[in-house]
Amino acid sequence: MNDRRPEPQFDDSDTIGSVLAKKWRYDWRVTVWLFTKTALGPLFIVWALFAVLDAFQQYGGSFAQIRSFQLIVVHTAAVAVPAFGMTIIIIAGGIDLSVGAAMALSATVGAWGFLHGHSPTEAVCLCLATGLAAGILNGSLISSLRVVPFIVTLGTMMIFQGAGRWLAADTPIRPPLASFAPLADFQAPFPTPAWHIFSPGVWIMLLLAVAVSLVLRYTVFGRYVFALGSNEATARLCGINVPLVRISVYALGGLFAGVAGVYQFATLYQGNPMGGVGKELRIIAAVVVGGGSLSGGRGSVLGTLSGAAIMAVIDHGCTTLGIGDMYQDILIGAIIVAAVAVDQYRQRKMAAAV
Amino acid sequence: MFRRACLFGLVAAFAAATVLGCGSGERSGKRRIAVIPKGTTHDFWKSVKAGALKAGEEFGVEIVWKGTASEEDKEKQVQLVDSLAGTVDGICLAPIDRTSLVPPVVRAKQSGVATVIFDSGLEDASAIVSYVATDNYKGGQMAGEHLAKLLGGKGNVVLLRYAAGSESTEQREKGFLDAIAKHPGIKVIADNQRAGSDAEEALRTSSSLLQSLRGQIDGVFTVCEPNNKGMLQALENDNQAGKIMFVGFDSDPRFVQALKDGKMHGIVLQDPFHMGYQAVKTMVEHLEGKPVEKVITTGEYLATQENMDDPRMKELLNPPKAD
Repeated sequence: MNDRRPEPQFDDSDTIGSVLAKKWRYDWRVTVWLFTKTALGPLFIVWALFAVLDAFQQYGGSFAQIRSFQLIVVHTAAVAVPAFGMTIIIIAGGIDLSVGAAMALSATVGAWGFLHGHSPTEAVCLCLATGLAAGILNGSLISSLRVVPFIVTLGTMMIFQGAGRWLAADTPIRPPLASFAPLADFQAPFPTPAWHIFSPGVWIMLLLAVAVSLVLRYTVFGRYVFALGSNEATARLCGINVPLVRISVYALGGLFAGVAGVYQFATLYQGNPMGGVGKELRIIAAVVVGGGSLSGGRGSVLGTLSGAAIMAVIDHGCTTLGIGDMYQDILIGAIIVAAVAVDQYRQRKMAAAV
Repeated sequence: MFRRACLFGLVAAFAAATVLGCGSGERSGKRRIAVIPKGTTHDFWKSVKAGALKAGEEFGVEIVWKGTASEEDKEKQVQLVDSLAGTVDGICLAPIDRTSLVPPVVRAKQSGVATVIFDSGLEDASAIVSYVATDNYKGGQMAGEHLAKLLGGKGNVVLLRYAAGSESTEQREKGFLDAIAKHPGIKVIADNQRAGSDAEEALRTSSSLLQSLRGQIDGVFTVCEPNNKGMLQALENDNQAGKIMFVGFDSDPRFVQALKDGKMHGIVLQDPFHMGYQAVKTMVEHLEGKPVEKVITTGEYLATQENMDDPRMKELLNPPKAD
């Protein structure tokens, strides 16, 4: 530490991109920042805790195996992908309660496509288009009706669910395996050529994570999203086309719900119109645990990814340790409240420092 | 420096966990069998659990009982099977969905863990050891025949279905409709209502049904415990209990009372205790290398006001439960 280069300073407003930009050469300070200022720290604490507890079990040891890791990342991907879209929405100061229903509707439309002889590419496109359309509908309603997003998306949640049930004649759509063969292993935790390590779904999730981070950090649109969520009036006065940005934000959120529909279909091998029940809360929880602020202006992809992973680790860890479902619920609930409380505390401290 | 210390602590914990984890990977002693019900809250599964625990005690295996609270969360059950496959010697599973649970069962088999399916079937049974269940189609038929007899061969009946996608209840519904079809005097005036998987939703659906078809219904068949509960409550709220012939499926102390009071006129019973016992027993036999039957039925019975005091019926109406 005796060289003449100036010490880089990091603070709470930094993101991964800015940290790496300030400090090109990777050194331990970046690692410290990652562990103390993002949700990665808590993720590793939770993981290590379960690994240690499991190791001391009579039949333990399975938690620290690669197999466990593969399962956890597959479970993470299913929540993280729609949560990326939710991150953008929450940063922009919105919320989308319809995300689970939109995801289930997309999966149902995709399954309908497979059943009616469309090629896998067409069916996947149908799935994505459904999510996108759902998002555009949400954004347009919120912008044009001037009703708060909580209410609009509560309504569209039920609309999407009903639409899915109508399309599926109220029973899951189960296309024959042959019609969606390329998707059959999309979310398989243990891929067949072992060197792939993760399922295609996990790799795509990681690509999406990088893409969303870059968009949020380095594009004008990304800056608009933060501006909108931080202070809408100021954003408008700065000349930002608020309705357009808002519709784009929800459209993007919907598109991610559509992608998540593909994940859900590939997991269940069916389009289940009821498959989104309760999922929206998990998705929002992932964003919030990852440091997203429901009052807008804050949130990060890495945080969301860690948030989703924390819940997946708890789910898998509790199952491995034989801890009952009810304690699992209590634990996740406590972590959500704790995460938000810590976040509030840090914000107050920051405000006091300024 | 405090941060550095924190980081060091984390890395140390991480390394320790990995080392410990790898060191104690071997299993020893008792065999472990995971028993995964469709849900954990209904009485039926508590009886299955009691049976499974008894078999566990009898054959000296450890039973890992783990299920989802909701009987609709298919993704959660898929994850559960995947997670448990790494920690047990065998799995007994009551699948929530007949197609979605095929891939995790196949994955378990590939990693050397066998599966016995109970209660509700899988579409692709090639990867399973055995299927232990009630003959649900026959149970549905029994209900249909009994209701036809109660109505004297003519009248209007209503079928309240369960959530879509569950093989066992679909078989009951099919058996019931097939049996009713043999009686030209009986008309099915509503069979498209689904009651979801909890009693509250069943109550809502039942109340609306009774309201919209007021005065036209002579008989009702509900296909499982939450549906029975919802329909019974709806009939009582509407002061129609006892007036409409009501046949249900599966038992509960409330239904026993209703049967005694003449509010229910028949209950088709399964033997959940025996089902849990038999599923574990079959798995143990398989693990010991003995041949097992591909399909094992655990029996179906019809309880009425007349026979409900027989000792065997009494036992089936109020099976042992484990919490």
